[in-house]
Amino acid sequence: MHIVWLEQPICQEVQRVGGKVANLSRLAADYRVPPGFCLTTAAYGAWAEAGSGDWPAELVRELNASYAKMAERCEAESLQVAVRSSAIDEDGQSASFAGQYETYLNMIGAEAVIDAVTRCWASTRSEQVLEYRRQNDLPVDDVQIAVLVQQMVPADIAGVAFSANPVNKNRDEVVINTSWGLGESVVSGTVSPDTYVVSKSDLKVLEREIAEKEKMTVAHPDGTREVDVPRFMRGESTLDDAKAIEIAQLARVLEQQMGWPVDIECAYHEEILYLLQCRPITTLD
Amino acid sequence: MADPHAGRLEPRVIPVTPEFPVRWDVPEDEHMPWQFDPMHFPNPLPRWENELWCEMANKGMSPAFAGYEMPIRARGKIFNDYNYAAMFPVVPPEEMEAQGKKAEAALGAAMASMQERWEGEWLPEIKEHLAFWDACDLAALSPEQMLAQYDATLERTMRLWHLHFEIVVPAYAAMGLFDDLYKDLFEDQGAFSAIQLLGGFDNKTLETDRALWDLSRKATDKEVRQIVTTKASSQVVAALAGSAAGQALLSALNAYLADYGQRGPSLSVYEPSLIEDPSPMIKNLQDYIGQEGGDPRERLAAQAEERETGLAKAREQLAGYPEKVRGQFEFLLQAAQVGVVLSEDHGFWIDFQSTHRVRMVMVEVGRRLAEAGVVAEASDAFHLGMAEVRDALAALPEGDLLWLVAERKADIDRHRGVQPPMQLGTDYGPPPEDPLSRAFGKFFGTPPEPSNEEGNLNGHAGSPGKIQGTAKVVGALAEAEKLQQGDILVTGTTSPAWTPLFATAGAIVTDTGGILSHCAVVAREYRIPAVVGTGAATKRISDGQVLEVDGDNGTVRIVG
Repeated sequence: MHIVWLEQPICQEVQRVGGKVANLSRLAADYRVPPGFCLTTAAYGAWAEAGSGDWPAELVRELNASYAKMAERCEAESLQVAVRSSAIDEDGQSASFAGQYETYLNMIGAEAVIDAVTRCWASTRSEQVLEYRRQNDLPVDDVQIAVLVQQMVPADIAGVAFSANPVNKNRDEVVINTSWGLGESVVSGTVSPDTYVVSKSDLKVLEREIAEKEKMTVAHPDGTREVDVPRFMRGESTLDDAKAIEIAQLARVLEQQMGWPVDIECAYHEEILYLLQCRPITTLD
Repeated sequence: MADPHAGRLEPRVIPVTPEFPVRWDVPEDEHMPWQFDPMHFPNPLPRWENELWCEMANKGMSPAFAGYEMPIRARGKIFNDYNYAAMFPVVPPEEMEAQGKKAEAALGAAMASMQERWEGEWLPEIKEHLAFWDACDLAALSPEQMLAQYDATLERTMRLWHLHFEIVVPAYAAMGLFDDLYKDLFEDQGAFSAIQLLGGFDNKTLETDRALWDLSRKATDKEVRQIVTTKASSQVVAALAGSAAGQALLSALNAYLADYGQRGPSLSVYEPSLIEDPSPMIKNLQDYIGQEGGDPRERLAAQAEERETGLAKAREQLAGYPEKVRGQFEFLLQAAQVGVVLSEDHGFWIDFQSTHRVRMVMVEVGRRLAEAGVVAEASDAFHLGMAEVRDALAALPEGDLLWLVAERKADIDRHRGVQPPMQLGTDYGPPPEDPLSRAFGKFFGTPPEPSNEEGNLNGHAGSPGKIQGTAKVVGALAEAEKLQQGDILVTGTTSPAWTPLFATAGAIVTDTGGILSHCAVVAREYRIPAVVGTGAATKRISDGQVLEVDGDNGTVRIVG
């Protein structure tokens, strides 16, 4: 079983797909998650076993077919996908691997996807990742990794939300950070995002802090790039109250379903809210 | 947020110099930021015309600004026969930003509906005013009717100038904002990348020039060509009239003037329009007859193609950008494309069609005053003020204003030699850094960086291309005779009546204007290099010098 789809039950098995993808798979049934498939740990194993760095022919065929099928589902002529690694012990309750593995955005075509997946696999051996694993008492010689290939939402607005306030630990506050364009600028911290605090119990916007957003990440034929935000919208609020409340509501529902406070990534495209990631908040205690 | 007032200096009263004496008849006027506008009014003006342009600021600009919730108003004032205007705030400094936001919203709404309003509201009203004047047989009016016609003319003129600014403010704001946005979005672009996306649309200025070009193609008869190309421009009409073969071209020429001849050499009520003295257009006709290529339709098509290519490229680059960016790009693009056409068409309909008719009323008034001996000749009426003309009309057949006209004429002659300062009254420092001020700057031009090299002049990029040619400094359209094919036209400013010359000139260099000025817009349409707003080209350059004009970088080099 080398490639599984998010909506398949087998895609919820952490040992095959990693915590991140298993979480997304659980969510895909109930929430608006962009369609995607996962190259399981078995796929990684087959590649690693070959040892040459080349892909087994069968796996190439399977990947090509899956990419074509997804393009058909999305009715996209040239489907843009995001390729993200999903470690087996990532996104567990104990340690968040956020940012430790690779992400490739705006990949177009099966060939580009194969290239990106290969780089995700290879990254498990990077010194940065190994060091992180050592510090967190994780095994360094038997790394297992899965890779998610998911339709990329060309976000108009993107950001993160916490179903509990990670700063003052208030469990009745949803904290939202959003900025223009793809979420990368928010996640990587290169832009000071807008901040909204929404009360979880009655969904009222308690605070709005509108930042001067100078940079944004946008999709580009070569992947993504960070560009200047045009002057007219730098100081504009990314969310109106209705959107802030919609995101807060999503975080609240997810927390109830998961049973733990969540840290989500989400994006608006053509006024529709997409759920991109959902992880436990690891810093509340 | 950048503080719009940051870097502004304390208000400074500008010292009055003996060369340009100013007596503050109204004390508060000394605290106003009076600005000289050499692009529109470079010369001392006869009193009536000068008062008209003052009233244009008071009753045209100000209500348009108010209509768009802008925090400023305008006033005009005459100093030593030169026309000055002041733009001054009408809300306290702490309310400027909030009022500015309201204005942005009002202008945004106006930009969205310019085309609709032009077709449904503005142009029909303009035409209604023109029809009012056309319906009147001025010579047949009784004295009372003449007085009423005079009053109605002033009232309708001011209404038209109100419309004028209601049109141009959002039109130029849209062009300026589009240029700003483009520069925010795309790095390392030349001065014209944004402007190029607004080019290649037909407008009334191009239509006027095209009709003249078509007229030149009608001069196929050998004898007719001989007459047009060898006679002095002032004698061509008479010579055509005296030739059997010339009748067809003469009637085509008259038809052209009836449609397009309502414009003078500059924006002026005082100067005769082409209908009265067609010599400047005959010069254009003579040049056109000698030209083989250069069909204006081909130029327009090439420009439209460049626009569409550039636009496809820009849209492709923006495909992955947030909707808010793409939406604003498309919104401003469309508004600016409408704006660039209206920036020419409003001039055809208001600046020229209506001003010509106002002039015709004043010519008739002058004729009556001259007939009664109140003034010596009809054109002398322009040396009286608006109220003085009304009083003189009402007092007919009595009256003697010969002395006053003589005094006024002597004043103008005396003032013609002085250099009017750019600013009078109080200097409040550079304008605030906001989108609208930037748009104004792109029209009027901002002072260029002085060139540090001897023999070089800096201005603003007006139209792309680099070319060498012989300088011809043309102060007035009547001097345009000396311009030969490929020469570089060096002038203070150009009005639409000059633009047929752009087919003859190799490049244009002006003292005034910015990248959105009329001259720059039309030079791009003619696809010749232009450097605008040099401040001093007409003073630093003399006839016969060889110049290298670099329209992309806005520089002029005196080669020899």
